Amino acid sequence: MDGWPGLKTDCEALLSAFQEADSVRFEDFASLWRQRRFHTIFYGKIRALEQNKFTKEALELVWPYFLPPYTFQIRVGALYLLYGLYNVQLCQPKQKIRVALKDWPEVLNFQQELLNAQHYDAAYIFRKLRMDKAFYFTAMPKLLSFRAKKVERDKAEIKKEFKDPSDRVAMLATDDVLEELANVHKHYQKMKCLISADKSHPDKALDLIKDDFIVSFKNMILEHQQRKQDKLEPSLTSASEEARNENEGSSQDAEGTERAKTLASIKAKSYSMVAQVSKSRRHRQVTLESSVPRSEHGVTKSPKAKGTSTRSQPVRKKVSLRNRETSQAVKKEGVVASLSMPVIAEDDNEEEEDEDEEIDHSSDEDFIPVKRKRTI
Amino acid sequence: MAGSSSQDGGAGSSRSNVPQYEEETLEKHTQVFHVGSFGALWREMLRPQDLSLQQAASEEDGDDAVAEEFSCPPDIVSELRDVCSIGALKSRSKEDTEEIPEGTNLVTLTIRKKALERREETHVIDRACRQETFVYEMESHAVGKRPKDPINLVKEGELLLTLNIFYPVIFQKHKICKPYQTMLVLGSQNLTEVRDSISCVSDLQIGGEFSSHPDQAPEHISKDLYKSAFFYFEGIFYNDVRYQECRDLSRTIIEWAESRDRGYANLQAAKMEDYTFNNLNIKVGFPYLYCHQGDCEHIVIITDIRLIHRDDCLDRSLYPLLTKKHWIWTKKCFVCKMYTARWVTNDDSLAPQDPSFFCDVCFQMLHYDADGNKLGEFLAYPYVDPGIFN
Repeated sequence: MDGWPGLKTDCEALLSAFQEADSVRFEDFASLWRQRRFHTIFYGKIRALEQNKFTKEALELVWPYFLPPYTFQIRVGALYLLYGLYNVQLCQPKQKIRVALKDWPEVLNFQQELLNAQHYDAAYIFRKLRMDKAFYFTAMPKLLSFRAKKVERDKAEIKKEFKDPSDRVAMLATDDVLEELANVHKHYQKMKCLISADKSHPDKALDLIKDDFIVSFKNMILEHQQRKQDKLEPSLTSASEEARNENEGSSQDAEGTERAKTLASIKAKSYSMVAQVSKSRRHRQVTLESSVPRSEHGVTKSPKAKGTSTRSQPVRKKVSLRNRETSQAVKKEGVVASLSMPVIAEDDNEEEEDEDEEIDHSSDEDFIPVKRKRTI
Repeated sequence: MAGSSSQDGGAGSSRSNVPQYEEETLEKHTQVFHVGSFGALWREMLRPQDLSLQQAASEEDGDDAVAEEFSCPPDIVSELRDVCSIGALKSRSKEDTEEIPEGTNLVTLTIRKKALERREETHVIDRACRQETFVYEMESHAVGKRPKDPINLVKEGELLLTLNIFYPVIFQKHKICKPYQTMLVLGSQNLTEVRDSISCVSDLQIGGEFSSHPDQAPEHISKDLYKSAFFYFEGIFYNDVRYQECRDLSRTIIEWAESRDRGYANLQAAKMEDYTFNNLNIKVGFPYLYCHQGDCEHIVIITDIRLIHRDDCLDRSLYPLLTKKHWIWTKKCFVCKMYTARWVTNDDSLAPQDPSFFCDVCFQMLHYDADGNKLGEFLAYPYVDPGIFN
């Protein structure tokens, strides 16, 4: 995959220049493109086979920038970049942009967003790509083949500057802050108790803050997060389910309870765990005070159960591999035993005769010292 | 659509047919989904013009259509057309695409330039080698083909699957890079159509020793004698039972699995000819199995599923379409070193090596006299070279 190390750098450079320009206008993008003579990226004695590969790679590389969690501006920039790369490519017929089904609703949302904000140039360009049949409507963004090289690419290397600060509320109310708040509150209550006449209750005069203030604050945060999540994933299934539910008429109820349940489970989870106390606060340990009925604790276990069920897969694979080995051994034995089959030993010297490993030599790859394939 | 998915999904119908990674971080394969329902979901979300396979005649639809869609005045649209024209990104003058322009600041090009310089120093001739041409030809030979007979035109919204079919691993040298062939299949095609188009040498073997009467080697190859085969996808064996002679190869495996608690509950058997790819539940990227000739096992991986595109091969009769195959080195005759071997001998008193390989002519000339009498001691078997599909 990493056959063209400079490609990512170039694309990101163009995108960040576009970000710096602080614009979403296509004219601005085009001038940055021209300034770099970006269309020349396809130049330089690349033969057809490699040209196809290179173009595919380029489109695949840029595509994710068009999706969240990148900022609006980067996404627009990525759209222009895709438009540019798709149209100036030298392949015949043109290589297409792969869109996965799971991403399509996101793409349509974005188009609507563009129209709502009257960014007509971006909307027009997306529409044009769609009309030009520049997309493959696929199951997954990449081709998947099981044994494909080890995942060594640092996955989470999302360029921070491009990323949309997804949740500003979450930025304010982090776990640490909540924990701190709970601690302060506890401490505060204790102090009040100490200076009051009745040591177990603070004086009426001191009782200025609601006792469940922290809990309700937490609840609000959780609710907000939940709602945000729901909004982020208007998943296809829930959409179609909703549609179906509407027909049946019993819709809102079912959905409502479902949401309540998930909310409850999240709450239960957060309350069933005592927040880790930071080092500086060790002397003010928080203890668990459950306000939720005990029975609900069970709910939180469900994600773990899921984990174990998925783990059965690799085991199956291993076993089938073993099957295969034994069956081959059996085959060999059979050859020896029955005389009606010839005995042909495996050639060891065949190694150097094999030329097919070399087929995809390409100019850029020539240069890279890293071996592909063989390095596993 | 929802109805069909729940019917096919059975008990686990709560899962979605929108493919997702099973383990997000690994990106190796997806969760299980139903192929047909997945296609239906896509078609539901797209407009007819997205699915259309018509050749772009004059796609330039009027400004009015755009204006209506964007709900903006038409004069803006014509302005958009100018502003957003792709001309803004291309160079005005005609350029030589072979040359890397001087003073470029693109990293990709700087690297490529260095690579090119190195290539010039080390390579004697700079041109596409045979292998490269071959691979490219394979990949693109059917691209954009349309059928003469419109009946064979692939339908709009049809699914296209990419299958990698691995050869059974024979050689040590393939330990790391296993050879495979790549095939494009339509979702509406039957499993049997793929089964019939998989070429494997073990189908062509002729069993038996024929040193005393080489002319009487039987015509029948293994394919005609042993017709059983199965595909295995997600807990179901799809057996080929089209012919009377076919045996249920999966039975042994299912019985084996059930005989003790081996952790494979619910293995099922089905008829291969009853299923199209649209009927299957699969994971993209997950290794499955094709087994024939009793124990010739090929790993099958579905690497991609997508809707058909107007630039694809649209001639239905050309599918399953082979787009890549491994170039296997053929064994040459030990005598003439020219033709592919057709015979193999063991314990050959006339040959220096065991086994020895011969083409038809050399085999006859060396081992028999003019009247066809056998000379010397040897065992001779017909040989089918794995490279014959090159």
